[in-house]
Amino acid sequence: MIRFLRRASLAVGIMGLVAAVLRLRGTGGTPPQSGGWRELSGPDLR
Amino acid sequence: MRIAVLGAGAVGSRAARQLASTPGVRALTVADPDARLVEAVCASLGPMATPSTSPEVDLAGHDVVVLAGPGKHHRSQAERALEAGASVVSCTNELAPARQLLALDDEARVRSRTVAVGAGFAPGLSDLLAAHAGRLFDEVHEVHVARSGTGGPACARAHHASLRGLALDWRDGAWVSRQGGSGRELAWFPDPVAGQDCYRASLPDALLFGPAFPGLVRGTSRVAATRRDRLTAPLPMLRQPHPEGLVGAIRVEVRGRRGQSFETVVYGAVDRPGLAAGAVAAMAAVATGTGLARTGAAGLAVLLPDPLPLLQELANRGVRCATFSGSA
Repeated sequence: MIRFLRRASLAVGIMGLVAAVLRLRGTGGTPPQSGGWRELSGPDLR
Repeated sequence: MRIAVLGAGAVGSRAARQLASTPGVRALTVADPDARLVEAVCASLGPMATPSTSPEVDLAGHDVVVLAGPGKHHRSQAERALEAGASVVSCTNELAPARQLLALDDEARVRSRTVAVGAGFAPGLSDLLAAHAGRLFDEVHEVHVARSGTGGPACARAHHASLRGLALDWRDGAWVSRQGGSGRELAWFPDPVAGQDCYRASLPDALLFGPAFPGLVRGTSRVAATRRDRLTAPLPMLRQPHPEGLVGAIRVEVRGRRGQSFETVVYGAVDRPGLAAGAVAAMAAVATGTGLARTGAAGLAVLLPDPLPLLQELANRGVRCATFSGSA
């Protein structure tokens, strides 16, 4: 039982380490606060 | 106009179809090592199309050669095309082939021919949008391009490789190399692609649009990727790439001075990358063949003094662009 718990905690630790490495670098960002996309047409293409 | 399309995959077949429906194009040569594929494409185009499976297809008598196969062959194919007296339109989105093609600038100028580098979705349509946005400013200070999605298998392989290569950014008057897969930024693309985490990658975009903006302070390009993409980037692709990707998108953010104020313009497009790249390559070939493009080897933002006719024609052919208004 103790051996099982050790292995499980080791596995969780390794997974956490991998997840931390993958999340490294970059600050992410926030979605646009207002507005949206509209198609370029008419006066936009003159 | 007589045009050869080398490569009949996701981009080449679409470029050939677009060219076949373009007035002024009277003959097409479509070449690909896959005999069944090239026969099928030519059968759908009618008598104006001639198939070829030869890697050394005769390019004599062609006005423009569209390079839509793997990027590693583009330099040698472009050299053959120039020797045959044709202009070149390359759809590559890889850094190394783009550099090799840009090195043909002197030869292209001597021969009074054009080598259009990166005439696809991004680079390609992104360059046209950057050039169009640039016309709104008195001075352009920053251009940032992001793309999401891939076209055919070659594009998927290039995307995979780009995340393990060195990214090339223009920063304060010098090229800066950074590790691909770094620098995560959330880029907001037009719907339905919407928000995607984008990373630095070995992409030619900044190299191609940079010279179009003499006062440029920062020029960057990023590609959307998942964490699995980043984790597996140093490995060979673990499974065969899909025949064609799903819907993709590009986003072009241009910042600069207009009058007394500093402003930002954001343009984008959403489409299947292979489809849009084929249309851009075809329209770039027509513009090149009709003398609308400058001579030399460069990206579309440099070669086409006025991107509007191409954007209008692309809109007529279903490649729709969008602008973001609001606070990004």
